[in-house]
Amino acid sequence: MFLQVVFILSALLTVVSAVMVVFTRHIMYAAVYLLGSLIGVAGLYLTLGADTLAATQLLVYVGGILIIMIFAIMLTGGQDFMKNSRKSFLQVPFMGNVKTYVFGGLAALVMGSIGTKLIMNVADRFSEHSEMLSYQSTIEVIGEALVTDHVLVFEISSVLLLGALIGAATIARPIKKQ
Amino acid sequence: MMNLAAYLFISLVLFLCGIIVIIARKNIVAILIGMELILNAAALNFVAYSRYVTHHIDGHIFPLFIIVVAAAEAVVGLAIVIRFFQIKETIHIDDATQLQS
Repeated sequence: MFLQVVFILSALLTVVSAVMVVFTRHIMYAAVYLLGSLIGVAGLYLTLGADTLAATQLLVYVGGILIIMIFAIMLTGGQDFMKNSRKSFLQVPFMGNVKTYVFGGLAALVMGSIGTKLIMNVADRFSEHSEMLSYQSTIEVIGEALVTDHVLVFEISSVLLLGALIGAATIARPIKKQ
Repeated sequence: MMNLAAYLFISLVLFLCGIIVIIARKNIVAILIGMELILNAAALNFVAYSRYVTHHIDGHIFPLFIIVVAAAEAVVGLAIVIRFFQIKETIHIDDATQLQS
């Protein structure tokens, strides 16, 4: 029961925030709604029994990536955001004629029915697995798997992070006035 | 209620929102935000399948590396955005028309 409440709250937070990222005009508001969506995904990880992933999601995304994005918005946008959102989604004029929309609607109906059929198949096939398994900590298993089975990917990711650090510092250095 | 199809539906909504943001927005930082949404949708699919189908821990390893790659990609992308703003004084995507200035 508690898990279902957490699931419903996390799913609502994720979906509503993701839709609001699309439909808001202000880029800073979009970043704040992205924060809500990421926290919702962390809650969904908790309902799936992935506690390590939920903690990593909160630490890296909310504590790192979102702060960097807000810094980038403040360094580049400032008061000038309306000029950059002039040609946004709400300002796009209508394209095509009636025939375009008729065929587009028919294609959307066919694709929607096929997608619904596929989703229903998946739901029927795996509905017997939907009972709660035992929730236990996954940090030990993930740690062992990281240094035994996946050690090459682990090392390569460290090199990737070093390269990203040096590359970002090199690219964003100030311009020399000459 | 909590079955695989619910998680797949949430992941579908996240993916569609990311695609719409990437297509419709003209701000480069907003496009990076849409890419974060798409990466989250993929990671959520991994964890949902590992819980309901395979019951294996490898589905928890891959989202860790997705988060690592997303962090690296966001840092380098935002550095490029700041550099672009230093040169062009704008971050409108239609103004990014040449590679070398």
